[in-house]
Amino acid sequence: MPSATKSAFETAPPLDVAADLLALLHDTTTEQRADSQLEALTLAVSADLPVLLWGEPGIGKTAALNQLAGALALPLTTVIASVHEPSDFSGLPVVGDDPATQGVPMAPPDWAVRLVRAGHGLLFLDELSTAPPAVQAALLRVVLERRVGALRLPPGVRIVAAANPRSSAADGWELSPPLANRFVHLQWTYDHEVVVRGLGGTWPKAALPRLDPHRLPDAVAFARRAVCGLLTARPRLVHQLPSSEARRGGAWPSPRSWDMALRLIAFATAAGTSRGVLSMLVRGTVGDGPGLELLASLDRMDLPDPEALLADPASAVLPERGDLRQTVLDGVVQAVRKRPELSRWNAAWALLVLALETGAPDLVVVPAATLAALRRDDWQVPAAIEQLAGAVSVSQRADRVGAGARP
Amino acid sequence: MTTTTMDEEKLFAARLHAARSRPYLATALFALHTVESRRVPTMAVDRHWRCYVSPAFVDRTPVEELAGAWVHEVSHLLRDHHGRSDRFAAKHELTGPAERLRMNIAADLEINDDIFGDGLARPDGVVEPSMLSLSEGKLMEEYLREFRLGPCTDAFAWLDCGSGADGLDREWELGPDGAHGLSDEERDTVRFRVAQGINASPGTVPRAWKRWAEEAFHPPQPWRELLGAAVRSAVSSPGVGEDYTYGRPSRRSTSLPGVVMPSLRRRPPRVFVIVDTSASVSDAELGSAILEIAAIVRTTGGRRDLVSVLSCDAAAHVTQPLCRAEGIPLVGGGGTDLRAGFVKAVRGSHRPDVIVALTDGHTPWPDAKPSCRTVVGLFPRPSASPDENDPDYEPVLPPAWARVVGIG
Repeated sequence: MPSATKSAFETAPPLDVAADLLALLHDTTTEQRADSQLEALTLAVSADLPVLLWGEPGIGKTAALNQLAGALALPLTTVIASVHEPSDFSGLPVVGDDPATQGVPMAPPDWAVRLVRAGHGLLFLDELSTAPPAVQAALLRVVLERRVGALRLPPGVRIVAAANPRSSAADGWELSPPLANRFVHLQWTYDHEVVVRGLGGTWPKAALPRLDPHRLPDAVAFARRAVCGLLTARPRLVHQLPSSEARRGGAWPSPRSWDMALRLIAFATAAGTSRGVLSMLVRGTVGDGPGLELLASLDRMDLPDPEALLADPASAVLPERGDLRQTVLDGVVQAVRKRPELSRWNAAWALLVLALETGAPDLVVVPAATLAALRRDDWQVPAAIEQLAGAVSVSQRADRVGAGARP
Repeated sequence: MTTTTMDEEKLFAARLHAARSRPYLATALFALHTVESRRVPTMAVDRHWRCYVSPAFVDRTPVEELAGAWVHEVSHLLRDHHGRSDRFAAKHELTGPAERLRMNIAADLEINDDIFGDGLARPDGVVEPSMLSLSEGKLMEEYLREFRLGPCTDAFAWLDCGSGADGLDREWELGPDGAHGLSDEERDTVRFRVAQGINASPGTVPRAWKRWAEEAFHPPQPWRELLGAAVRSAVSSPGVGEDYTYGRPSRRSTSLPGVVMPSLRRRPPRVFVIVDTSASVSDAELGSAILEIAAIVRTTGGRRDLVSVLSCDAAAHVTQPLCRAEGIPLVGGGGTDLRAGFVKAVRGSHRPDVIVALTDGHTPWPDAKPSCRTVVGLFPRPSASPDENDPDYEPVLPPAWARVVGIG
């Protein structure tokens, strides 16, 4: 054997051995691992919204795009923006025999022709931030109007762009607010553990979200209710141009981006993705503050309706989380205040007792005091109040401390 | 909810008292899920917003101090001490429980200097900056650079606020799969609601919490980067020093006989810096701001002679040697108000592409937008609070046509 190996070693062309070594290096396995970044990217791409990945150079944006293309079964076309001229995107003039009558057509580049012929594909515009401004201006027409020269990209083509953050971009390119408003901004970071495991030979394989065909109408209804509910209560959130320098170039709320957020909520609901992924998407569309308000109002939409609880206190289920539970109890007392009736008052007491039995007593104190104040002269104190003694003593104890602290 | 030996009534009376004395923290306090544990010395939190409580600690601690402990623990979570510890550890490659204890102490220092008092008693044995001969009012990261474990910290070796404080998972914690934990997104919404509550009624809230609420979701960015980005984008945006020209054929002309195509020509951008130094700005800061601008112009193809600096007399001694070293011509003194500077900049024989004004903002501004892009670097003025003698006084804000970057 040694001699055979030796002769093979001597006769084989050196690059073949190198190829063997490269093949060994390429030979890696994958493991299932939840990846919320990739999940968010997949959802936004399926929702046909232009995505902008912000990330430092060399952290695997291109690798993620390869994985995404594989998962969506789309051929990937990568265009490095910085090595092109504006006319590569707006079309090259081709002079025919008689320009005066025929005009001068703007010929598209070959990759665009191939994309249109295929009818579908994933177009990845890499290194947007190092391209000169004129090229970026031409590229944004590709992203926003889906036009390359005289060609129009078919609906089956999805577009993703990537840029380096301002702090690391050599030329400091940044989006103007109107352009930033058209993108879903996703921050791309690497997970230390994933990188170390991947270099050791095991890369993650993300379980990508799939849309459930039966949930589509519900998903749309839910998304509309969520966005409209929030914007009805908070009209100021509909449109807010970024005011401070630190927030420039990022996501901000406008009717357009709220429409994008609505679409993303519908997709996330139909795909059954986690709130964490939805949080990344919504905050990347309308900005941090409005995005968090939307998520908080989604939390409240999940809470039980006070009227339903009052109608049937016996089978009520209160949320486990203390702050949400208190919101529900406050809502119940508020509902009784709006329409005070003895039966509703008694039902509210039953709910408070239930809350005391299943959770922390201090949450019940404020609603109980408010509810007690709603009593009409002819209403009998319900027997349930006896069971609230625990809450009363908690309250008294806190009162004593409060009084002691301010002599 | 475990109910065996712990005096829950006392524990929750303390939480109620804490929520009453700090109403803006109520959401966060109520979002904590309590777990009885004999493994913690006092109270501890994990990164999933569970609060571990020692029954013995509840027994021996007065309600008022217990309320202080509640606020202390919830402060760790609101201020994201576990995330900040992890980031600090990764950045400085710190490993091991000793470093995590140091982070726990530093996190405690950040909290303890401003949460007690006004209804909340300081629990016995809490660590304070003065005990380690450190000054108050700093951030955890700053404290971490200022002390090492040693004889003076021995007294605090028992400290254990859980993984919520220092990011190190403990064996007695329930972990990510345990019940009643909050997800990342839920934690963010709770923190957001607390921040919103503070911003909505800032009157009664201590300064440290106000600062937290402002920065919780918009961490301040280093002004140098922001100023750099603003100047770069002004200098390199289309129309500045760059245009199509027919003076030289495009490199593509050879392939298109009969068509004359323009080529893109770039001439280096001209930047005019106006320095107003009536503010108490350190020479170093002012100098580095000008250096930054010069460096940016150079990277965008500019030459040193294309940066002009116009300053008030007071600053001439600061900027002149700097500019001489950098080869930047310093254009005259004068210009006590910025409008004069703008007029001078635009009237010069070489119209600038970008004007950068470094000022404290206490100046009248030009009525009309100048014909070039404007970036304003705004130095903070120490007397930010309203003037008692002149309550109607309002500082003149920089105009909307300028890009404004807060410096310092």
